[in-house]
Amino acid sequence: MSRRRVAITGLGVVAPQGNHPDIVFNALCSGQSAIERRADNAVVAPCRFDPSPWFTRMQLAGTDRVSQFAVAAAESARADAGWSSDWFNTDHRAPERAGVYVGTGFGGAAAVEEAYRRFHRGERVPPLSVIGAMANAPAAQIAMRAGITGPVLTYSVACASSSVAIAAGAKDIALGDIDVALVGGSEALLVAGMIAAWQAMQTLAAPRADDASASCRPFSASRTGLVLGEGAAFMVLEELDAARERGARVYAEIAGTGLSCDASHLTKPDADGQVKAMRAALASAGMSPADVGYCNAHGTATLVGDVVEAESIKRVWGDALPRLRVSSTKSMHGHLLGAAGALEALVTTLALYRQTMPPNAHCDDVDPACDLPLLHGSADRDATLNAAISNSFAFGGTNSVLAFRRVD
Amino acid sequence: MNTLDELKQLLHDRFDVDAATLDPDTPLTQYGLDSLSLAELMFTVEDYFHVDFPSTNQDIDTLRGLGKLIDGLRLAKAA
Repeated sequence: MSRRRVAITGLGVVAPQGNHPDIVFNALCSGQSAIERRADNAVVAPCRFDPSPWFTRMQLAGTDRVSQFAVAAAESARADAGWSSDWFNTDHRAPERAGVYVGTGFGGAAAVEEAYRRFHRGERVPPLSVIGAMANAPAAQIAMRAGITGPVLTYSVACASSSVAIAAGAKDIALGDIDVALVGGSEALLVAGMIAAWQAMQTLAAPRADDASASCRPFSASRTGLVLGEGAAFMVLEELDAARERGARVYAEIAGTGLSCDASHLTKPDADGQVKAMRAALASAGMSPADVGYCNAHGTATLVGDVVEAESIKRVWGDALPRLRVSSTKSMHGHLLGAAGALEALVTTLALYRQTMPPNAHCDDVDPACDLPLLHGSADRDATLNAAISNSFAFGGTNSVLAFRRVD
Repeated sequence: MNTLDELKQLLHDRFDVDAATLDPDTPLTQYGLDSLSLAELMFTVEDYFHVDFPSTNQDIDTLRGLGKLIDGLRLAKAA
């Protein structure tokens, strides 16, 4: 059975840089970091987000911030795709042939935190804590808004969650199981308890004394760890022919996906596993490494992680490495964990669509062990990009790679 | 302020319902509250009035019913 091609026709985002794909992409291309030092000294990349355009006060009851982000980003993506309210009122579009595929690492962290806070003070726990906290709340909320009655699924695979979710939605369209999907991810765990838990793991970046916004330095010799971010990103995926038929703008195509698991360590990444996922993505896209001009790296800026990813990329690209450009935009938007793959897929898509590659910021001193062809300083706007990949590697060892192709 | 007025104010503050449009005998569901926002409202009301609603079925579909229940609980507490 021949696989159908999968077009990206709508983008929506709530990100530390802003809540519109163009704003976010332009900020990244000019090297603008949204990482900041809070009053409690935690260095994070928070979102400025007002839920009131999306929710009445009544609708906010039991709706955690993670679901608020998700609905805002998914509804924006739908609007961007021209998915009007009468979308399903035609003979050829059935709501059960539409799906929602959401990645989230944690779910409703604020709801959990508030429930425990009250519980341990001997107070009553809010009655909507469970539905606010449950990991599939964002997917359910999106489905209700859009009237989608097909597969509505949630993937929790740590930092690869939303990359896996996008791959799953793309596959179901490619196989003909559904015709349209909202795919992406959301994460909102910048609450005190969760930040403390991450700090205890010793993986977070030390605040840079002279400039907190430069605290996350992927592939740099002076990197000290990752910076937690929050937000959501969503895409509308459609079968390519149908998208063209209705005259939709096609940003790019999801050409291939690759999955693997290291099966070796909960947190220490493994080059063999990453190599397998990248090769699988290229193979399923029918691409060779030389076809790919840009890699949006996982690049969290941890001491161990960056070296392993650099080794993996070098092994896969081999002699073709000089033609590749690599950047980790986490240097500016932080690590959105379960939403990271979705935000970075959106960035990679816009890189192809606008033929512009965002830089790898704060890396004047490349670690010799990470000697990749990194994009320094400002964006490369003179690129001729036909294909790009986005890497997402999770705690737990799951590696997910998405391959994108430009569509003329 | 009597209990009914306080309830109206609470509904306005919590859910943006216009207090002037609230009729004490109209079911709260008519104002757009569903089972979830009602649960949230009951929690808020209990906190605000420092009362605990009994788990037996009570007439709390309307503001008047809710107000009566609160007044009764507060009286019992004061006694």
